[in-house]
Amino acid sequence: MSAEQVNLTIDGRDISVPAGTSVWDAARALGIDIPALCHDPRLRPVGACRLCVVDTGQRNLTAACVRPCEDGMQVVTDSADVERHRRMLTLMLLSEQPAESAREATTGDDMLYALARRYGIEAVDLPDGAEGCPRGADQSSPVIAVDHQACILCDRCIRGCDEIQHNNVMTRTGKGYTARIAFDLDAAMAESTCVSCGECVAVCPTGALTNKAVHGLWLRRGEGDGA
Amino acid sequence: MKRFTGSAVTAATPVPVNEVATVCPYCGVGCAVSYVADGDGRVLYGRGRDGSANAGRLCVKGRYGVDYAAHPQRLTRPLIRRETSYPKGPLSAFSKADSSGPRKPGSIVDYDEVLPHFREASWDEALDLVARRLLDIRQQHGADSLAGFGSAKGSNEEAYLFQKLVRAVFGTNNVDHCTRLCHASSVYALIEGLGSGAVTNVVRDVENAEVAVLSGCNPTANHPVAASFIKDAAEKGTKLLVVNVRRPPIADFAEQYVQIRPGTDVAFYNGVLHVLIEEGLYDSGFVAARTEGFEDLRAVVSRYTPALAGSECGVPAEEIVRFARTLGSAATAMFFWGMGISQHVFGTNNARCLIALALLTGNVGRPGTGLHPLRGQNNVQGASDAGLIPMYYPGYQSVTDDSVRARFEQLWGVPLSASAGLTTVEITHGALDGRIRGLYCQGENPFMSDPDINKVREALSNLEFLVVQDIFLTETAEFADVILPASSALEKTGTYTNTDRRVQIGRPVRGLPGEARQDWEILCEVANRMGYAMDYADVSAVFDEFVQATPLYKNLSHAVLGDRGRWYPCPDPASEGEKVLFSDTFPIGRARLVAAESAAAPELTDDDWPFILNTGRQLEHWHTGVMTRRSSALDAIAPEARVELHPQDAAALQVADGDWVRVRSRRGSVSLKANLTDAVARGTLFIPMHFREAAANLLTNPSLDPLAKIPEFKICAVQVEPLRL
Repeated sequence: MSAEQVNLTIDGRDISVPAGTSVWDAARALGIDIPALCHDPRLRPVGACRLCVVDTGQRNLTAACVRPCEDGMQVVTDSADVERHRRMLTLMLLSEQPAESAREATTGDDMLYALARRYGIEAVDLPDGAEGCPRGADQSSPVIAVDHQACILCDRCIRGCDEIQHNNVMTRTGKGYTARIAFDLDAAMAESTCVSCGECVAVCPTGALTNKAVHGLWLRRGEGDGA
Repeated sequence: MKRFTGSAVTAATPVPVNEVATVCPYCGVGCAVSYVADGDGRVLYGRGRDGSANAGRLCVKGRYGVDYAAHPQRLTRPLIRRETSYPKGPLSAFSKADSSGPRKPGSIVDYDEVLPHFREASWDEALDLVARRLLDIRQQHGADSLAGFGSAKGSNEEAYLFQKLVRAVFGTNNVDHCTRLCHASSVYALIEGLGSGAVTNVVRDVENAEVAVLSGCNPTANHPVAASFIKDAAEKGTKLLVVNVRRPPIADFAEQYVQIRPGTDVAFYNGVLHVLIEEGLYDSGFVAARTEGFEDLRAVVSRYTPALAGSECGVPAEEIVRFARTLGSAATAMFFWGMGISQHVFGTNNARCLIALALLTGNVGRPGTGLHPLRGQNNVQGASDAGLIPMYYPGYQSVTDDSVRARFEQLWGVPLSASAGLTTVEITHGALDGRIRGLYCQGENPFMSDPDINKVREALSNLEFLVVQDIFLTETAEFADVILPASSALEKTGTYTNTDRRVQIGRPVRGLPGEARQDWEILCEVANRMGYAMDYADVSAVFDEFVQATPLYKNLSHAVLGDRGRWYPCPDPASEGEKVLFSDTFPIGRARLVAAESAAAPELTDDDWPFILNTGRQLEHWHTGVMTRRSSALDAIAPEARVELHPQDAAALQVADGDWVRVRSRRGSVSLKANLTDAVARGTLFIPMHFREAAANLLTNPSLDPLAKIPEFKICAVQVEPLRL
């Protein structure tokens, strides 16, 4: 490789990587797991969720997935300050989540819930009546359930649709609190040009896009669900 | 305060599941997938694995379409036709003539109607009956009165054993499968031109191609995950040149899309070849060093000026010149094609043209170059490799070659027939005229997949003995004397060879239902009862014998294949196998440029039959629909057949989108709803082949390509009329 190499330390360990490598990828090469919700190695990084923040000794914490490595950089991925930020971000994202995760029930891999468990979050301290589920759902597809309430607007589904499968069906619509993902020009999923490949479900980190149970089978059931 | 119940959810009792690394049972792309199933073998979900062909991607069929295996209609006990249900004929109202219409039943075979004609039997009784009847027919009418249809959906091991059963036990080479109906012509032309019938490069190497020609194929529907890699390449600069009579969605990504008239492929490509030679846009070094037949090719294509070719295919001359210049100035080009090339009476000539294009431009044997007929079924490559072909033993070794035959006689320990067998449609015709009296059908459904179903109905009724080994009661099984309940892809261990020549192991996700048995064991049982000992410790031992018989698969075994598989040829078992073939030489030394002349299709439009009917597949369904129509998700997404009709033609017929129409050919008629789209050209129609209630093959023309014996599925003359309800 003729690409220029840069040398840095991550959590005190030296590493040399080609210039342009992200801090997230470099850490991964060292076996250091930096949590991320909006990033996946198969997708173009966008730095939306900020869960992957690390300390590079600068004024602000920086998102590792979009931050290129620099020569001489000293990265700390797990300081108390960093962890405090991540815990707060997790808490804020959870405050909008539905009470139960459709992803935990279907494929068992809700990344936001996994973070909640990692940070020992059992409850979100909001006044009564502050929460609700006003953001809607789309149950039109026979195979994919859309729950906007569980969506954290990480755009993984949009990138999965565009960049992995090149179906170019998904987009964002709305502003501010009403911002949400959409299909075509905000059609119902089943009426859109969606081809049901399920890539959006595969890359979604939360219960926003999940498989409908083909046999009516669930992987896990919550309390009070009965048998 | 809001309670967060994440921990409560995980504390609830999880359903016990197991996750199995296997291969998707649908198309030839061969996506590596894991299925997660509960203790009863019901699949909860699937997730893509990082396979060589799919890198974690899946499509709707592989991700959501595998619940068919757990469908309550699975066959669970051997069935024997009741005495009172002779003479044989179709049993469901649906399989009878003139059964297509808006008020007629649709969907899958009605078991309530068909099952009473059969009684359940023990395996011993059923197998003994099969062996005795086949032996009787052989004794009375000779071995060549027996025939077998194997399946491209089964594993390599099953295909190997099936052709061995027909050849070594029945004593005939009358064994074929649905490759005859999809790429027989491509394989014929490739073996003639290069000496090998498989692809010369893998789909994903399209990322290294400057140009990709996509001819007569609709990969977003038929090879969706392969299409995603082709679209990847297009977004990174690969120029797609798309030629198709019906606009495929991937044309949205194309540098150039050319909509030629049906059946004018040879004229179009001869026009392109003409320009390439005329303008010196070919690789003279490659042509001189590695090919033969250039002067003959030049002589033929010299007559196909762009103006002449263009007027035949309904394309401006400049389009042909532009196509040729884009292709001729690229350093690397790959050629993908599908049934739009192969399923014609001149399918071999169509494929010859594409091979000539690749050879003339030196685009074989390097990264980013190659010839790639996109194979349809999950194991159509492997089933062909394993010898489910009437003229070849495993590994394309000719049955008429004395030294080859001597080797197989030694391997199998019996004398073998020296004459090539009959092909799929010839076997059906043979059943009609009495040459074929006994047929063994393993996982094939010719009643739906062969052209001219009304003839197939007569043929199947005319058989003295038909045994069907399948997972469901198919339309074909309605004509059976004995039905043997078999294994689905989700219930067996076996290898499958994808369109890239990647050999991968499929593993069981669920147990067999009821008394159903593994296909390979059933085949051994039949052989044993016919007096030929077939005994294998397990399915990997069958693979080992297949490899021993097949130099192409040298060095491969189940242990070597592991979870990721290998490409064949695999000269070094520690390597991935060979991705790009023929870098230095071809199996026949020099490749052959074979010129083709344009010819008219056997059935053209006239005043009485003013439309051309095209047939094919759609994304959500699979071949004769036996599996996908029993998938709750796929059936919900695409529940009914529709005929594509150009909006202007529809206006002339006073037909609105969704209206019922009747489509009639000289051979039959079907009724279905109209889907108005300008993807089809004016004067042409498209009907998917999957729907029995509007079976496209009631209409199709059974004329055959004289060399490859593939039927003309893509062109027949029809009339359309609105059906006023």
